[in-house]
Amino acid sequence: MTLLELMNFYVIPGLVLGSIYAVGAVGITLVFGILRFAHLAHGDLATFGAFAALAVVTASGISPWAALPIAMALCALIAIGIDKVFYDYLTDRPKIITVMASLGIALMLRAVIQVIWGVDTETYSRGLVRPENYWGLRLRDREIFTMLAMFAIVGVLWVFLQKTKWGKAMRAMSDNPDLALLSGVDNRRTTMLTWAIVGALCAASGFFLGLNTELKALMGWTMLLPMFAAAILGGVGRVEGAVLGGLVVGVAEELSVLVLPSEYKAAMAFVILLLILLVRPTGLLKGKLL
Amino acid sequence: MTNTSKTTPTLVMKDVRAGYGDADILHDINIKVARREIVSIIGPNGAGKSTAMKAVFGLLNVRGGSITVAGQDMTGWKPNKIVQNGVCYVPQVNNVFREMTVLENLEMGAFLRKGDFTAALDRVFSLFPDLRERRSAMAGSLSGGQRQMVAMGRALMLDPVLLLLDEPTAGLSPKYMEQIFEITRSVRDTDVSILLVEQHAKQALTFSDRAYVLAAGQNRHEGTGEGLLADREVAEMFLGG
Amino acid sequence: MEIPGILIYAMSMAIFMGIYAILALGLNIQWGFTGLFNAGIAGFFAVGAYTSALVTSALSANHLGGLDLPVPVGWAAAMLVAGLVAWPIGKICLRFRSDYLAIATIGVAEIIRLVIKSEGWLTGGARGVTKIPRPLASDNYALSELSYLALVVIVLFCIYLLVEKQLKAPWGRMMRGIRDNELAANAMGKNIERRRLEAFIFGAAIMGLGGAMLAHYYRSITPEAIDPMIATFLVWIMLILGGSGNNRGAILGVVVVWTIWSMSEFVTDQLPEEYAIKAKYMRVFIIGLMLQLVLRFRPEGILPEADQKSAQRRK
Repeated sequence: MTLLELMNFYVIPGLVLGSIYAVGAVGITLVFGILRFAHLAHGDLATFGAFAALAVVTASGISPWAALPIAMALCALIAIGIDKVFYDYLTDRPKIITVMASLGIALMLRAVIQVIWGVDTETYSRGLVRPENYWGLRLRDREIFTMLAMFAIVGVLWVFLQKTKWGKAMRAMSDNPDLALLSGVDNRRTTMLTWAIVGALCAASGFFLGLNTELKALMGWTMLLPMFAAAILGGVGRVEGAVLGGLVVGVAEELSVLVLPSEYKAAMAFVILLLILLVRPTGLLKGKLL
Repeated sequence: MTNTSKTTPTLVMKDVRAGYGDADILHDINIKVARREIVSIIGPNGAGKSTAMKAVFGLLNVRGGSITVAGQDMTGWKPNKIVQNGVCYVPQVNNVFREMTVLENLEMGAFLRKGDFTAALDRVFSLFPDLRERRSAMAGSLSGGQRQMVAMGRALMLDPVLLLLDEPTAGLSPKYMEQIFEITRSVRDTDVSILLVEQHAKQALTFSDRAYVLAAGQNRHEGTGEGLLADREVAEMFLGG
Repeated sequence: MEIPGILIYAMSMAIFMGIYAILALGLNIQWGFTGLFNAGIAGFFAVGAYTSALVTSALSANHLGGLDLPVPVGWAAAMLVAGLVAWPIGKICLRFRSDYLAIATIGVAEIIRLVIKSEGWLTGGARGVTKIPRPLASDNYALSELSYLALVVIVLFCIYLLVEKQLKAPWGRMMRGIRDNELAANAMGKNIERRRLEAFIFGAAIMGLGGAMLAHYYRSITPEAIDPMIATFLVWIMLILGGSGNNRGAILGVVVVWTIWSMSEFVTDQLPEEYAIKAKYMRVFIIGLMLQLVLRFRPEGILPEADQKSAQRRK
């Protein structure tokens, strides 16, 4: 196999898939770091976002990319709503109770998706897209855009977290919640802000998965494990780590086909998760260990 | 932040009864801090020193008595409201944001301030010149003494009338301990009253204006630092004879 | 003798309840007494089901095994293999907060599903394993059901006694100590990890047995026999609603939830087809909602843990 073949058949698809995981993993790492629990409804919220974008596309006929911001805004609201209605009451109890509640939310979200959109697979646009050739590298437009959009979204988030007052408040909350409260940071507002960002990220990751593959009711749930593996691999609470983790998991899944039957692609994420917990539980970039 | 006449004491704890959960730890504690005064609370382990301080900051249930800061009754207030009214608290441990820079730590201290805070920042930097140099360093990478400076600096960003320090010198070398005491005095000289809890009773009494000795959640002695140092009973209790 | 259909239906419901009760007791050991979050119950269940099926069924070209061994051997093997699967997961994840275990168990259930689906030589692939012997079966359908029900009840009772005995033993007191006060428990050091691992494996083995019992009841097992997410979730809501930490509560929760679950199926089946499918998903929604309501309004469940003090501390 030539290097170009390796790139075209494994590395590039891996990076695209990894970008999708990265967007989701950033959300997971924010919830893990700031609100301090594993959010198991993350994948199904992503599915919801993907289908919400589809609904906008079918209803208005606009391009899927134009539908993305709408889906992100919608998912942000839904995430805030879920927190207010379900998670908020559990704040004073052990965090694992909220983990359990989020498993229930995952099931509820999936049921809603199945009721509204059924269980058939859907796509944003019909027809086969041939990849373009760039000096031997074969890339589809949507793949380029997915990777660029991932970096753009994470970049904006990064600047927000580093430079703005509320971004810093979110980092402070993740770093030392007691001290953040002592400094007068409003817990409720930070939580709400976090959920808004996480919801929007969910919608984006679901949308990218739908754009590059297809939409189905279980698409997000199957992404949950790779997203968590990516977040933990990168280091819990580390946005840049989640991106790195996402890309590593994505490429590893694609490369696994070289040695394992393709059915076991999904097992790579699990292997990576167990390995990192075994060897370096704080992750590559030294994140938190809950 | 709060307007007070020159004679109004900064803090008055009157007959405060408080504790975690249902059990009382403090029994009718009385503590007073005047303006521009450093007052320390000393006492054996489990005397309720830190608890008394946390009660001021609204971190536990106050079931009796009253807490007044600069004439304003704050009994039963939540910490974030207390912060807004000019009381800042520096916990003993985990008192910096380790993964944020020194400057960001100070900015977090100014979180509740509206508008420009460069004046407050300049003031903190002139109190702690080390911090100005290391403003871009991660707080977690600093030495223990510098970290304590960041913690105090963060608390000072709101221009508090009352600063609460929970064992500010715990775990520090004598050199840093001396430095922290010195800084505490210069903070007082910028018109901030200070209440602190100290393990090192002798040093605390030497540098405080006044002190309270607590034992088993009750007032035992009070007086000027020098007076208590000279007191035989106090000396026997804490100062190793 | 003619047995009315309703009675047969009731018997099959009772068998399902018995099997779910076994699962709920397994989860109670992990969650109720030890605070371990297992989100992959269906995985251990499936491992047990397939293990026993392969050990006890007759030789077949479709899958491995076919050892034709007696059913009790199959059940023991089911427990053993489910425990063996749990061991490495527990070994790696129990050092951390239970969030990590939740994720890892979701993962392990997923991998088990993949193996079952793709390794045809081992599991028969999509066709699954058929002709699994059912113990005490006879030509009389009603009698077969009744005797299997009796068997399920006996096994459930034995497990109940076993778990209760373990809990009253120093082992159980220690487990609750670990759960309620991690700090104090940490002082015991390495010992805790070991105890937790024991609880995790013990619970998983019981779940494996539950799976085996279902496989022998169905007389066949296919990858589609159970929806992993729903099965896992049903066990969770049963335990939480009934009262985690209380074995009788767990069993009561099974009865309540399974009754609601099957009754709602009964209702949705009556609907015209276009609604029936949607209604099927609404049932799942309602089960999810039920968990939220229980967590919020009655976190201790219908039958709270006997030791009120420790139950309250967890609130």
